[in-house]
Amino acid sequence: MLLLILLSFLLLTGCWSSKEIEDLALYAGLALDVGQPAPVEEEFEAKGATYSKKNKVMATIQIVPTKSTSGDEKKKMIAPKHYINISASGDSILEIFRQFSIRRDRPIIGHHLKVIVINSDLLKKQTIEQLMDFVLRDNDIRPSTLVFISRGKAQNTLISSQPNEIPAFHIYGMIRNRSRTSKVIQAVTLSKLDGLMYSKRSLVLQNLETAKGETEFSGVGIIKGSTGHWIGNLNQEDTEGLAWIKNEGHAGVIKTYDRDNEPITYEIKSMKSKTKVHVNDGKIAFHVSIKTEGRLIEIWNSKGHYTKDESNIKEVEELFKAKLKQTIDELMHKLQSVYKVDVAGFGEALALKDPRLWKSIKDDWDDLFSKTEVTFDYELKITEFGSFTDE
Amino acid sequence: MFKRNDDKITASQATIFLTNTVLGAGILTMPRSVTQAMDSPDSWITILIGGFVIMPVILLMVRLCLKFQGQTIFEFAGKIVGKWPGKILCLLLILYFIIIAGFEIRTLAEVGLFFLLEGTPIWAIVLPFIWAGTYLVSGGINSIARVYQIIFPITILFLIVSYGFSLRIFDFSNLRPSLGDGIMPLLKGLKSSILIYTGCEVVMIIVAFMENPKQATKAMLGGIAIPFGLYFLTIVLVVGGLSINTVITSTWPTIDLIRSFEITGFFVERLEFPLMVIWLMQMFCNFCSFFFQASLGVSQLFKVSYQTMIFIMVPLIFLSTMVPKSRQDLFALGDAIGMMGVWLFLLTTVLLSLVWWIRVKGLKQHV
Amino acid sequence: MSAVIKYIPDWIIFIQAFIAFSVPLLLYFLYTKLYHFVGKTPSPNVNRPNEKKEPDEVNVPFTGSFEKDMEIIQELIGGNCDFRTREFTMAKLNRRAILVYVDGMQNDRLLNVKVLEYLMFEATAEDMGLPLKAAELLPFESLIEAGDIGAFNRSVLFGHTGLIIEGFPKGLLIELPDGANRAVTEPVSEALLRGPRLGFTEVLSENTSMLRRQGFTDQLVMKTYRVGTRLKKDLVIAYMKDIVNEDLLREVDSRIEKMNMDFLAESGYVEQLIEDNYLSPFQQVQNTERPDRVINEIVAGRIGILLDGTPFALIVPATFTMLLQSPEDYYERWLPSTLLRMLRFLAAFLALMAPALYISLISFHPGLIPTELAITIIETRQGVPFPSLIEVLILEVAIEILREAGIRLPKPIGPAMGIVGGLIIGDAAVQAGIVSPFLVIVVAVTAISSFSIPTYSAGFTLRLLRFVGMIFAAVLGMYGTILFFLLMCSHLTKLKSFGVPYLTPLTPYRLQDWKDIFLRVPFTLMKKRPAMFKTRNRRKST
Repeated sequence: MLLLILLSFLLLTGCWSSKEIEDLALYAGLALDVGQPAPVEEEFEAKGATYSKKNKVMATIQIVPTKSTSGDEKKKMIAPKHYINISASGDSILEIFRQFSIRRDRPIIGHHLKVIVINSDLLKKQTIEQLMDFVLRDNDIRPSTLVFISRGKAQNTLISSQPNEIPAFHIYGMIRNRSRTSKVIQAVTLSKLDGLMYSKRSLVLQNLETAKGETEFSGVGIIKGSTGHWIGNLNQEDTEGLAWIKNEGHAGVIKTYDRDNEPITYEIKSMKSKTKVHVNDGKIAFHVSIKTEGRLIEIWNSKGHYTKDESNIKEVEELFKAKLKQTIDELMHKLQSVYKVDVAGFGEALALKDPRLWKSIKDDWDDLFSKTEVTFDYELKITEFGSFTDE
Repeated sequence: MFKRNDDKITASQATIFLTNTVLGAGILTMPRSVTQAMDSPDSWITILIGGFVIMPVILLMVRLCLKFQGQTIFEFAGKIVGKWPGKILCLLLILYFIIIAGFEIRTLAEVGLFFLLEGTPIWAIVLPFIWAGTYLVSGGINSIARVYQIIFPITILFLIVSYGFSLRIFDFSNLRPSLGDGIMPLLKGLKSSILIYTGCEVVMIIVAFMENPKQATKAMLGGIAIPFGLYFLTIVLVVGGLSINTVITSTWPTIDLIRSFEITGFFVERLEFPLMVIWLMQMFCNFCSFFFQASLGVSQLFKVSYQTMIFIMVPLIFLSTMVPKSRQDLFALGDAIGMMGVWLFLLTTVLLSLVWWIRVKGLKQHV
Repeated sequence: MSAVIKYIPDWIIFIQAFIAFSVPLLLYFLYTKLYHFVGKTPSPNVNRPNEKKEPDEVNVPFTGSFEKDMEIIQELIGGNCDFRTREFTMAKLNRRAILVYVDGMQNDRLLNVKVLEYLMFEATAEDMGLPLKAAELLPFESLIEAGDIGAFNRSVLFGHTGLIIEGFPKGLLIELPDGANRAVTEPVSEALLRGPRLGFTEVLSENTSMLRRQGFTDQLVMKTYRVGTRLKKDLVIAYMKDIVNEDLLREVDSRIEKMNMDFLAESGYVEQLIEDNYLSPFQQVQNTERPDRVINEIVAGRIGILLDGTPFALIVPATFTMLLQSPEDYYERWLPSTLLRMLRFLAAFLALMAPALYISLISFHPGLIPTELAITIIETRQGVPFPSLIEVLILEVAIEILREAGIRLPKPIGPAMGIVGGLIIGDAAVQAGIVSPFLVIVVAVTAISSFSIPTYSAGFTLRLLRFVGMIFAAVLGMYGTILFFLLMCSHLTKLKSFGVPYLTPLTPYRLQDWKDIFLRVPFTLMKKRPAMFKTRNRRKST
């Protein structure tokens, strides 16, 4: 008797939160674009399937894995794609997500969201705070999700021409290549973004470009802290410059041209920088000293004047230094004159040095920064020439 | 004697008893409450100060208890201030314990519902938990202490491992600058950094159960040092890993810290899983401790059997769990509990010690 | 005031509070009722005087008259078809004598050649020393005098050879039973790679001798009890006099005395009659077939209980950690042993929790699984029509049935059947889409883990609890699993085996006892006996 009651209790209640994993749809990527009805949606709406909304944002989610027909293994082989992207637009991300529930047979869950890509045009219209509000509040989405920006349509970044690839994971994996190049910035997770947004600091997000179904990291997009809008992009070399200044890079190359206009390449083995803050009567100045060691890795010039004697090395080192200086100067020009934002961590350095002063000026730091003097010195050392020797 | 005397616990058990009583919901919310009050990365200093403030408090309690060996506060309070004032004092204490017990379960239910069991009715989380607690508490202090001793090492192990992995997002500059705004924020945060030791009143009960009361001082200080150390570690890692701005905006900063990274290629990619597990177990210990104290208090105060009291406590605790209407209420209640704790400390420990001192030293009475 | 009223919960909460109140109360009463109900059956202390006098216990003394005695014996037990008598005349004495025995329970050759020859032709008056005080003078190794006919009869039927001599008012039992016995073999249920190959047999005297033969000592005490009210049997408790704790000994003694059962077929009967908590799923008495294990535990301060007729000896008190220890831990070097011990703890954990974890992760917390794994699981679980609980139950029950069937099957086809069952059913179930391949791995790991538990009966406990855990997980997911674990811990802490808390020395912390739980430190560091038994002589070596 008791057993029966228990059993019925079990059967009745066993389904409170229980959702079999295969009955759920994981979304691994989320792309936010300027609102315009997706083609499917347009058709739906034409047939009268509408609800009251303003098309402010279009959300695309990437659902993995797609339902494959079970049992028959041959069919699995020719399954064209492992993911499905679906889009809808509206003016509330959660509402859009719930709209998906009336289109899909399986409820979507965000536990496995890996990347969020935001279109830069959208960020001109909406602030980043508005767009990120939902994903920060939601209990499914982990704060470890990475946030990117895309100058092109964000939903295109979630499309891949590779047959066996899930674009969201692809992008997620690309971040790991920081060990090879400093054109990739340190990934911005949601939790980091949260802190930056809260303190109204300007920030950069890695920019994604797509071409023919392939995606590439290309520079960074700048979001101005005070407004929360996207203001412009930095190109790939600027991004390298950022890494130099922020002391965040691990590796990369410096390529320049020698006197015969042939390329020579320096592989960075270590890169370090130190930002010093000088405050004199409220006048703030920064000095950044950059130190690097590396090897001469590629020489196209066959005239053979790359001997290992001291003066020769010095000469080559100067070449690279000049190139480095040029990169950083360009970056500083963009930051201080074009965009007038500090995304290179000078504010943090000041905050550490003089917290009181920082508190009083932090609200208009971006403007102050554009007038602040920043000086650099460089130290570059070639320590070896690789395993090939041409002496 | 072959059979153990079932009412006594060893020094290590007493230490862990105190640790488990103090270490509860606080570990998840503490970084936010402290940082919010201070708005400065100096919260770790405040925690240090808070720890040093709480030590003498514990010492005072142990002192008082050692005057009445083998007696809990419920027994000796009446002897110091007279029967009825003592009873009222103890009733306040019991009420306080019931409220905390309810608060802890409610926090557990909120976190559980938010992260683990969305959609489950709250009673389905609360009831089994209380029942499981009832089963344990009915075994008396010895069983409780044993369970604590099983769970405690597991908790510490997983906590340290989780924290260890969180070092990968640890950024020391998030903790700087030290004392950038002077010491004012420290004082602002001090309140919340003391409130996290809610529950240390248990000292006045467990000392009575110790096999060897001579070790009481050492055991109790050890028992408060462990949560102190863990709180310190937590605040350093959470603020260092997330930066104060994120901590302030996050409801459960410690969970968010662990959720902020993934360990790809590791057996468990997501460490919030072990963290939730140990936290739930820790909350169980925490809750059982207050449950036990409340039941014991009433049974000693009114000479009711302890077993009966446990059963009567169940619905009371349940009601106290259900009183907060929202999470905002819950956090408000948490603060209120902290304040109550301070007042009760003043009322019980300080007042009782004073009265005792006056009666014994001043009036030469024999108490 | 209105603020307070606002916070008074509505009536549903009060109803729930009432439920909260009544359920534990109900369970408590149910438990105590059940406990008393189960505990009452043996009713050890009640002396039922009318039943105490068993009808067949005739205490007729020997009359001294040869014919009369024989008549009574014939009347009482002569009806048995295997009852044999051999009457003869002792030549030198010129007296009649008779050998009484049961067919098939003696060594026939010995009986015919030695005993009869001696009695018929050699035994002289001097030998027998008439009037008989024969006991010392007869050249038999075993010679017991039976005072009355009832005892004589029982012994004869148990296999002794009885001798009645004319003019001698007593029955002599001259030959021990020598029934069909098994040779000493390797213990089947606890095979080891390294260590003695000796296992207990069904004969008590052989078993005690095996214990004795472990080493020279005059401190190993064996105390005999007669147990069983109708069919009596010998039971021996063995302990070291200078080590064992007096209180423990008294406790064991009183519990054995209190046993009230007409027949104890196996030591399992004893185990269930003397254990502390009938309702616990954990065994509170350790059983083993290995003499080396018994002697090890005896030297550590425990008490061994041996029952005639079974190769399984009992060891009390048992503690939780014993279940996961194997004698081999001490025979191998300490590093591999330590590793194996930790492995066993892990295995026990897996055997208990793996399916519950699977259910809670699959059905409740997809967010806690690593992403890649989640995707793989989703892909493999496509088309599985059942929720994970049913899925796990199907396979788990199938495995349990296979296991049960494997024991019943004749030895040659048993393993083959296991392979067929395990491999083919598992694979077919996956192919048919009833279960997911991932689950097959989980269940297989669980099954293998449960095989690695050194004590067979401890494996039972885990198997039983595994299903409970699965139900908890199916209702509340991870949370339920944790509750289950906590409940189990709570139960274990309350449990005692002969006054020793079951979880010692896990808690309270006795660090020096820990050297032998998770780890197995080198012997040079294990100088003391476990503190938990409060033995008299703490040091193992100096």
